[in-house]
Amino acid sequence: MLTASTPLQITRRRPRIGVVKFASCDGCQLTLLDLEDDLLAIADRVDIVEFAEATSKRSSGPFDILFVEGSISTPEQADEIVHLRAATTTLVTIGACATAGGIQALRNWADHDAVRSLVYPHPEYVESLATATPIADHVAVDAELRGCPISPDQLREFVTAVLAGRRANLPDEAVCAECKRRGVVCVAVVDGMTCLGPVTRSGCGALCPAYGRGCYGCFGPREAANGAGLATWLERDRSPSDVARAFALFDAWSPPFRRVIDANGGPPGPIDGPARREGPDA
Amino acid sequence: MTTNAILPTETEQAFLPRERLPSLLEALRRDGRTIIGPMVREGAVVYDEIRDTSDLPIGWRSDTAPGRYRLEETGSARAFDYGLGVSTWKRFAHPPRVPLTTTDPDGMVAAVEPDVPRVAYLGVRGCELAALGIQERILRAGPAGDADHVARRDAALVVAVECAVAMSTCFCTSTETGPEVADGADIVLAELDDGFTVRAITPAGERIVGQLGCNGATRAQVGAAAHQVAAVRSWIGYPLPTDGLAERLRAVPDHPRWDEIAERCLACTNCTLVCPTCFCTSVAVSSDLDGTTGATERVWDSCFTLGFGRVAGDANFRPRVADRYRQWLTHKFSSWWDQFGSTGCVGCGRCITWCPVGIDVREELIAIAPPGAAPAPIPWPPAPPLGHAPTPLATVDPARYVAVGVSGARRETADTMTLALETDDPALLASRPGQFVMVARPAQAVPPISISRIRPAGLDLTIRDVGPATAALAQSQPGDRLSLRGPLGRPWPIDGAFGGDIAIVAGGIGLAPLRPVIDEVLRERHRFGAVRIYVGARTPRDRLFVAELTGLRGRIDLEVEEIVDRGGPEWLGRVGVVTQLFEHAAWTGEHTTAFVCGPDRMMQAAARTLASRGVAPERTWVTLERNMACGVGLCGHCQLGPYFVCRDGPVFSVAELGDTFTVEGR
Repeated sequence: MLTASTPLQITRRRPRIGVVKFASCDGCQLTLLDLEDDLLAIADRVDIVEFAEATSKRSSGPFDILFVEGSISTPEQADEIVHLRAATTTLVTIGACATAGGIQALRNWADHDAVRSLVYPHPEYVESLATATPIADHVAVDAELRGCPISPDQLREFVTAVLAGRRANLPDEAVCAECKRRGVVCVAVVDGMTCLGPVTRSGCGALCPAYGRGCYGCFGPREAANGAGLATWLERDRSPSDVARAFALFDAWSPPFRRVIDANGGPPGPIDGPARREGPDA
Repeated sequence: MTTNAILPTETEQAFLPRERLPSLLEALRRDGRTIIGPMVREGAVVYDEIRDTSDLPIGWRSDTAPGRYRLEETGSARAFDYGLGVSTWKRFAHPPRVPLTTTDPDGMVAAVEPDVPRVAYLGVRGCELAALGIQERILRAGPAGDADHVARRDAALVVAVECAVAMSTCFCTSTETGPEVADGADIVLAELDDGFTVRAITPAGERIVGQLGCNGATRAQVGAAAHQVAAVRSWIGYPLPTDGLAERLRAVPDHPRWDEIAERCLACTNCTLVCPTCFCTSVAVSSDLDGTTGATERVWDSCFTLGFGRVAGDANFRPRVADRYRQWLTHKFSSWWDQFGSTGCVGCGRCITWCPVGIDVREELIAIAPPGAAPAPIPWPPAPPLGHAPTPLATVDPARYVAVGVSGARRETADTMTLALETDDPALLASRPGQFVMVARPAQAVPPISISRIRPAGLDLTIRDVGPATAALAQSQPGDRLSLRGPLGRPWPIDGAFGGDIAIVAGGIGLAPLRPVIDEVLRERHRFGAVRIYVGARTPRDRLFVAELTGLRGRIDLEVEEIVDRGGPEWLGRVGVVTQLFEHAAWTGEHTTAFVCGPDRMMQAAARTLASRGVAPERTWVTLERNMACGVGLCGHCQLGPYFVCRDGPVFSVAELGDTFTVEGR
């Protein structure tokens, strides 16, 4: 007989979980490994059948839950995500690249061939798309974990909630709410810093403002993100290119941020011309 | 020097020389108190634990403007010229996170007992004291009040300090909550260049002041202190004309400025979280990987988040930012008066300073509800005429969970189950039709569920699976145990319909809370005239309690009619919306009391049709759905005009609701 304390999931089979990546830095996958103690407990309850950063086991599915890192930036990736989606029950994008395109989506504003020929001696060997786009532009996405990288706390909460069969507690509110609960003094109001906190989704625990710097929006736009409203305020004492630069980071290609960037002359810097090179020969 | 006594040489007040300020801190500490007071941190004044007078913001003042705050050094020896802290005292009286429940070893849910420190608040301003009082009145109200807040306020001694400077964002004179320190302090200080005048207000304050060994303050000192605060008052002026503001604001729910503000407002929650009276919270659920143990905590929330207006099935009462801003501003300056009999704003100006885009409520209020505008029609009664239940309600400890057993589970439709619960809890057994219970399971959110039958030894709950929490509940089986809190809410006023006719109008799952009304009306059938029951459902397969309704149809002392939105080959009955069942009926409604439950739009349509049949709005009762997170009017989620739906409702007459019933986004 079941009682209220009987875990529901013991009646189910162990969920098959995969972790895959596309164009990304692997940092979000590493967050999974950073769960350390919890990782072993999670591994006890699920079958991790695909996770390149952690195991040499390979699988083509099926997956009950598939965590997808990275954006789609080659024709091959565009095909692969469609196959993976077909083999997956719950597809979860992790990180700014997968949910919004990532920093590499800045190339979406640039001349792809010009950049490619500057970077590679033989660009004809490189198969890449003119754009780096979020997973949701290609297939249906069931859940998102935001951030660059994702938050270990949110990842733990997501996995725990899935195993417990409850709704994950991933509030869609501004970073400001976390700042105020933490008692962090607002860097925008006190120091006049550029802070994207009001238009950015919480989940990081107000990490940057707690260290005295403005939020750079790595969790991407929250619901009802009023990018234009914030930009109007910032434009009082900043140039349009400074405003565009603030939004032109990891989630630049997300529509609310993209609109601000476009309204302020596109991503600043000579992206359309020859790419600026850092280093001795720059 | 004489010690251990206040010497009232010339005045009733004592004088504490500046160099003796540490003796006040020592006396508070000897009283077993942690001292919370102002200090400079991260470029602003915040309130936190003070260990030494050197922690105080000596020689600092703050310069504020919409969206701007800067600290400036004055070179003065004064410690309390900083204006206001960023943080409010609610951080300590109503903290950002408070544990609520844990799962006990039996898997049942139990409330966490408050564990609070003994503290002294040092440096509370007139407006802040007013705010503490407003929050305390709200959070002490209800069946038992908010246990954590009550414990924290009882454990706090308040040392207020009169304002000697004002900031450009101050407007406490308009809200009549300052700058002078009014009721609620234990000790009141006023800072002069060479020390402090000291007034002990309460016996607890006298005990502390008695230990300071102060001489009496001279008339000149008391006069100088009074002059300082009077100068602050005149400096602030009267920046927001509040005369008639509540009524003026109430009259303009459709003002175009709401949409215009929404273009500037970022809905970032800063204004609400720095507001010293905003008290709204949400419940966050956590669990371990097994899902067997869980905990809930109460977290500061804001009416500016999308989640705040969300209810079952991902419906939302305030999807637009314009709705959220209007909700906040009208609550602060208008419906707060109706609800609590006081202002909801104390004029501290924090919402102006800490708005990251510098929205100034004073400016917005003057634009939306200009002084001298025609007095508004009042869409809801100024004093809520509550207490329509002559049958006294059982007293319920709102924090107490009762373990009940599931004795039966019956599937009603594809997504709806009725659970039969057995209990001998006297409060639960004294539930009344229309009341609801909060149902907890480990590691799940705690949803409000209306009671669908009251039996001599138990209750029925009818649950529609609209999310994980209700899905888990709907999977309950005989032998399971659940944790229940309640019964909560105001019941249907069935007694008020004695001697008249009854119309019961149900849509979909809305039949569940009306089923106990039908039960009671049938038990007391001789007390009523005609009894008419109108039931709508989406499709024939979505009909609830089918066998029971069929049984009722056979009775000659009832009229029972059903209709579905979409029929099908197997449906021989009527197709359409529920109001079609009675819009052309032969009866007239002068003596009819109507009980209506269903989706919002269905209830609005039913109320209109009932009104056209002559049923008075005072006799047309509806039950509202809201996000009832605490169930007892303490979390703020279900605030609607002058009401908390969970406590003052969920049953309301259409007359009580006025236009809150029909304005979109309220």
